[in-house]
Amino acid sequence: MKTFSRIAASAAALALILECGCGHKQIVTSQHEQTEITLSWWGNDSRNEYTLEAVELFKQQHPDIKVKCSYSEWSGYEARSRIRMISDTEADVMQINVGWLGQFSADGTGYYDLSKVSDYVDLSSFPDEILSYGTRNGILNAVPIAMNAETVYINKSIFEEHGLEVPVTWDALFKSADVLSKDNIYPLSGASKAIWLYCITYTEQKNGKTILDDKGNFAFTEKDWETAVDFYIRMVDKKVIPQIENFKKVNIEKGEYAGAVAWVSDAINYFDSTQKNGDEVIAADYTAFTPESSGTGWYEKPATLYAISKNTDHPKEAAILLNFLLNSKDMAQLQGVEKGIPISQTALNTLDKKGMLSGLQYEASEMMNSNDKLREMDPVLENNDIINDFFSTCNLVMYDKASLEEAASGFYTALNEKNLQ
Amino acid sequence: MSKGDNSIASPQKVNRQLFSMVIGYAVIIVIVILTVTNLAIKKTDNVLQDKVVSMSSSLDVQMKLNMNSYLARMESLGTIAFSEEKTYTYDATDPNNDEYEALNTEKAITEKLYSLCIMENFVDYGIVYRNNRTVGKISNGTSSLFGDRMFEELSTMITRQRTNDGWCAGYQDNFKRIYYVKRVHDNALLVLSFYTSELESVFDNPETLDDMDIRLVNKDYNILYSSRKEESGKPLPTPILERVKGKTSASVMDDNYLVSVSSCGEEWYIICSIPTDIILREKNDMSLFIFMVGAIAAIVAMLMCAVFSIKMTEPVKQAVAFLNTRATNDQLTGILNKQAFSESSARLITSASDGAEHAMILLDLDNFKGINDSLGHAYGDKVLAKTGSILRAEFSNEDFIGRVGGDEFCVLVNSIPSGNETDYKDFIISKCQSLCRTFGENYTGEDGTYKVSVSIGVAMFPSDGKTFEALFSAADKALYKSKHKGKDTYSFYENDDTEVADK
Repeated sequence: MKTFSRIAASAAALALILECGCGHKQIVTSQHEQTEITLSWWGNDSRNEYTLEAVELFKQQHPDIKVKCSYSEWSGYEARSRIRMISDTEADVMQINVGWLGQFSADGTGYYDLSKVSDYVDLSSFPDEILSYGTRNGILNAVPIAMNAETVYINKSIFEEHGLEVPVTWDALFKSADVLSKDNIYPLSGASKAIWLYCITYTEQKNGKTILDDKGNFAFTEKDWETAVDFYIRMVDKKVIPQIENFKKVNIEKGEYAGAVAWVSDAINYFDSTQKNGDEVIAADYTAFTPESSGTGWYEKPATLYAISKNTDHPKEAAILLNFLLNSKDMAQLQGVEKGIPISQTALNTLDKKGMLSGLQYEASEMMNSNDKLREMDPVLENNDIINDFFSTCNLVMYDKASLEEAASGFYTALNEKNLQ
Repeated sequence: MSKGDNSIASPQKVNRQLFSMVIGYAVIIVIVILTVTNLAIKKTDNVLQDKVVSMSSSLDVQMKLNMNSYLARMESLGTIAFSEEKTYTYDATDPNNDEYEALNTEKAITEKLYSLCIMENFVDYGIVYRNNRTVGKISNGTSSLFGDRMFEELSTMITRQRTNDGWCAGYQDNFKRIYYVKRVHDNALLVLSFYTSELESVFDNPETLDDMDIRLVNKDYNILYSSRKEESGKPLPTPILERVKGKTSASVMDDNYLVSVSSCGEEWYIICSIPTDIILREKNDMSLFIFMVGAIAAIVAMLMCAVFSIKMTEPVKQAVAFLNTRATNDQLTGILNKQAFSESSARLITSASDGAEHAMILLDLDNFKGINDSLGHAYGDKVLAKTGSILRAEFSNEDFIGRVGGDEFCVLVNSIPSGNETDYKDFIISKCQSLCRTFGENYTGEDGTYKVSVSIGVAMFPSDGKTFEALFSAADKALYKSKHKGKDTYSFYENDDTEVADK
């Protein structure tokens, strides 16, 4: 009996071992779940590269958050962004233009209320007056990254080679064109929006009135528009600038353009290669009739802003990413002054400590900050439809399809009919 | 050595054999378990490696399908530009173009192209003319990259004659963008491009395959895309290149790498690779686990074998001990029989070290025949048994005690008191006196009973003999002297008895 018990016990033990080793068990594995959020921005190669690098660092610091990026150059981005916003398919975190706030969030509900995620976004780094740029109807929709203004950049080396001083007045600009055009060089150049704003600056200075009245309505008359159209045509005719349809940024590198009107945030984008070629490029005084009035008719605005989608399913994660983009040392160092001098005090301190507050972009920012004549830009001045219509009007005159008066009148009428304000 | 089992150590032999048996079984069990474990692991390895290679190959093919699907979608998005008639009828190089009309046409084409690509992350989506005029979305980066030779350089990217199109990446070692070019007409090319990093969504692999490197390379094995972002634009690492060069669809696994390659399009390859030690890390852990289980099983088996063996041999050992006792002991007195005594004593004497002292005490019961005759053999047997008891009480376990004749007993004194020869002899004398006294006390002869006394002869080792036989003979001579002296006394062998003692 004792022996039987022992054999039974041994058999039971063996059965247990076999059960452990050979039993059929259901195997269940689970993937590590990450919260996926999306980030969209526009920019050139440089911005795309450092932003992607920053996102990689963010993902390393926050392994539970996966960030999917969507980006492209500016061209077409605005239209796509509009579609995304209207169709509720916008990214969780977005780089936006200041004009979009009025377009998509007139009552402040078009973007996420960032005060709800203030536990995750350090807003103390931003002055209240700056945050007001991103506030609609008392609701904080977006946080500005830096301030921006159209700036006149001059390749001083080319001007000096031709015995010219850096032009400060309109007259000096046109006179420089007389000299430089002999070598097929334009003293200035610019994309359509920059030249459009340049024409408005000239018109405001010449006619002594602003394009918009205090209520934001267009205040230019037909005569004012005649001045603007005529100014553009004269600049093209006198070879001050290339026709905007023919503008190619690459011609700056090639020395065919000795300057450009461009955003503070575009300084590196436009002139990095030129500077690397050894040319001296400076941020010139804002063009005016007299040096003393430099800055009159020029506008500043937030360069870009970051906002969170009102539809986001992950406001906390989006806010953590937003804070990283605005305030982290990593992003500050990677971004430098590419978007202008950062408004975030934290980011600014980082750049200061690293000695990164220098260069053409920094000079342009300093010029903008030190000129108290610059006024806040109304988003309507960046409306692409108006800008395209303006240059179509100019072309009508340039190609003798209409008189200056007829063309300006037609533009004025169309502008008022669209009631775009 | 005990008084009862000091002649043949048979139980020890059984123990030694038991130990050998346990060790033997253990060795066999370990060998068997090791062999079985090894075979199991090898078989598992083969199956696992086949599966891993198969899965890697499947992943590579899946990546290839993803990539082909992505490229096909991009081509479709490019082709859709032909839905606008102006895109393929307008020629910006035509000298007869009205400048104003041309501007408006280009604006219209540009708007159309923008609307077609609006939801895609295209860097370029436009048309380049032979005079390098462009419409649509042509980025500054592309303009800078190709400069004044844009049309000529883009034309060289057309590699497929059937569809008049082609893909290119790495132009002038710029691997940031991938270009698709399609001829619109003799003087126009449709160009679309996207950042190489867009392929991240194409090559996104599950978290469980995080260690897998996924690369897209061109025909020169330069990396267009890599899951290791820093590798973009660099040559394929040599260890990987060596394994895939010249292959269009294969999976290779060796001690260092598992690599799969699939051709993609006409001149690109998707290469998935992972160090073998990473992918087989779990296998190695599993092998270690199996070996550990095998080792534990071996230990358990050995312990069980030992326990079972001990249990199984216990009766044998008892039987052997019993038989051994029967073979070596005198049944009546419980002391050694003559043969066992002789063998044990002879072994002790032979192995005695220099300076060792022993004494052989030979005893003979006086008048024992008369006891048997008058009181019966049963009483005689009691006397003999009693004698055995007296001797066991008198001597220690170190001493050899045997019954060497009917009423003759012999003791080889092995216990050694400290001191010189005289002291040792005194020690023996005291033993002899004690024996005589004890016999006298037990058998007084009063009340009609027989008085039983004992005659004792003593021989000293090594002075009286250096062999068992010589010593025994000397003791016998001394016993004879005691008998001659009138019994009930003891005598030591003396030198004048040399004629019988072989010293």
